Amino acid sequence: MSAHDYLIEWRGPRAVVRMPAEIDVTNADQARAALVAATGQRPAVLIIDMSETTFCDSAGVAAIVISYRQAAGAGTRFRLVTTKVERILQLTGIAELMPIDASLDAALAATEG
Amino acid sequence: MMQSDQGSLEDRLRDIQSVTDAALSQLSDQEMLAELLERTRLVLHADTAAVLLLDAPSGQLIATAAAGLEEEVRQGVRVPVGRGFAGRIAAEGKPVILDHVDHTTVLNPILWAKGIRTLMGVPLIAGTHVIGVLHVGSLTPREFTTEDVELLQLAADKAAGAVQSLTGLEDKIAAIALQRSLLPSALPVTAGAQIAARYVAGEGSVGGDWYDVFTLPSGELGVVMGDVTGSGLAAAVIMGRMRSALRAYAMESDDPAVVLARLDAKMQHFEPGALATVSYAVFSPGLDTMRICLAGHYPPVIAPPDQPGALAEIPPGLLIGAAPDADRRVVTITVSPGTLLCFYTDGLVERRRVPIEDRLALLCRAVRAVPPETACATVMADLVGADQPRDDIALVALRRKPTDREP
Repeated sequence: MSAHDYLIEWRGPRAVVRMPAEIDVTNADQARAALVAATGQRPAVLIIDMSETTFCDSAGVAAIVISYRQAAGAGTRFRLVTTKVERILQLTGIAELMPIDASLDAALAATEG
Repeated sequence: MMQSDQGSLEDRLRDIQSVTDAALSQLSDQEMLAELLERTRLVLHADTAAVLLLDAPSGQLIATAAAGLEEEVRQGVRVPVGRGFAGRIAAEGKPVILDHVDHTTVLNPILWAKGIRTLMGVPLIAGTHVIGVLHVGSLTPREFTTEDVELLQLAADKAAGAVQSLTGLEDKIAAIALQRSLLPSALPVTAGAQIAARYVAGEGSVGGDWYDVFTLPSGELGVVMGDVTGSGLAAAVIMGRMRSALRAYAMESDDPAVVLARLDAKMQHFEPGALATVSYAVFSPGLDTMRICLAGHYPPVIAPPDQPGALAEIPPGLLIGAAPDADRRVVTITVSPGTLLCFYTDGLVERRRVPIEDRLALLCRAVRAVPPETACATVMADLVGADQPRDDIALVALRRKPTDREP
């Protein structure tokens, strides 16, 4: 698995963090660190963009939950974009923490203004 | 290569040297056991060699190390003392040779499925106690000699020494000890229920998986499956605290949602960094219904008699430790006579790059309404096989007896 660049892309007050193709125990720490770093900048909305992610296991789920928990109280709203790993996010209850969108455009449209 | 039963005295001595070699002691105990098994297999011209260790509280032998038969260890094979080939050796404390290997003489289906024709086994003895069994197997029919038995006993004595020193020192060992102490040593005997379980540590270290099965004062049966994020001693310690807390809350409320909500609040207050998934089910005394609540955990597979297994339809809930005041919902599921339920942790179903849907479908195909020991063996065979799992695996199969009158 080649290294993934976690860039924070700003759309106004909204931060988009693109996740790698695969997230498991070997790279979940970097994913968590990137999400925590993004929440540290206090965006109004953090969009976790998993549209290119085809595999995510429990370690990836934990990374998302930990970043969510650390942002608690800062007022950041979370959204998540995926079509291919939606099942594990549903089963583990992540879908109850944040809305899931099928595309980045949909996530952006839902958080306009 | 010299046939061991026809070899000269010199060859014989070389064989003995091979399994009693002082250089073996330079290896760590775990490596030593693996190397010793490989050498034993070679000098006896056998195809397989395996060590099963006695778990005294449960009275079962647990496959611990193997050469040529790794799946026995990976699947956490257990044999009750006194039953089958290995069980007989442990019970009698003396060697047994078996030249007829099938389901009537050997309990472990892996052995006969693999095509082993002849088995020879000896006890591992520490002082006056049997602590395990060492056995070798041949894929072709053969006659083991008295000398072969003696050689195997020498190897077993060496193995017993290694096993005895496999205690105490490292974190890893402490975590294993803690993990073992927290898993139920004997599953409760409940009228109307048949229960079996497996726990297999992951590569390198144990993790935070646990299962718990207990009867409540009301006569109901509680079944817990949990997984603390992380691994090693730290995860095992948190797991221990969660297990105790859940048991305490289970005594206070018969509502699984209330129990998990209290557990969540307790964890967020006292272990603010911890994250875990938990499934908690309460079965009515007759096992005709199950009330279950999930906290980020995969749902159990349910298999009514003569029907394929399917994921139970249960609303997901948030992981324990994720957010304050998570919504906890309970569903009640009817359990008809003969129905089997299979609870598990993510280590069983998650494999790198394999979509979770595919692995869950594989699990559903493996689960059938059969006796729980058979169900556990089949699930481990189909989903683990001879792989070394990265993550630890816990599995509980619980079946409502087919009819109320069956003993």
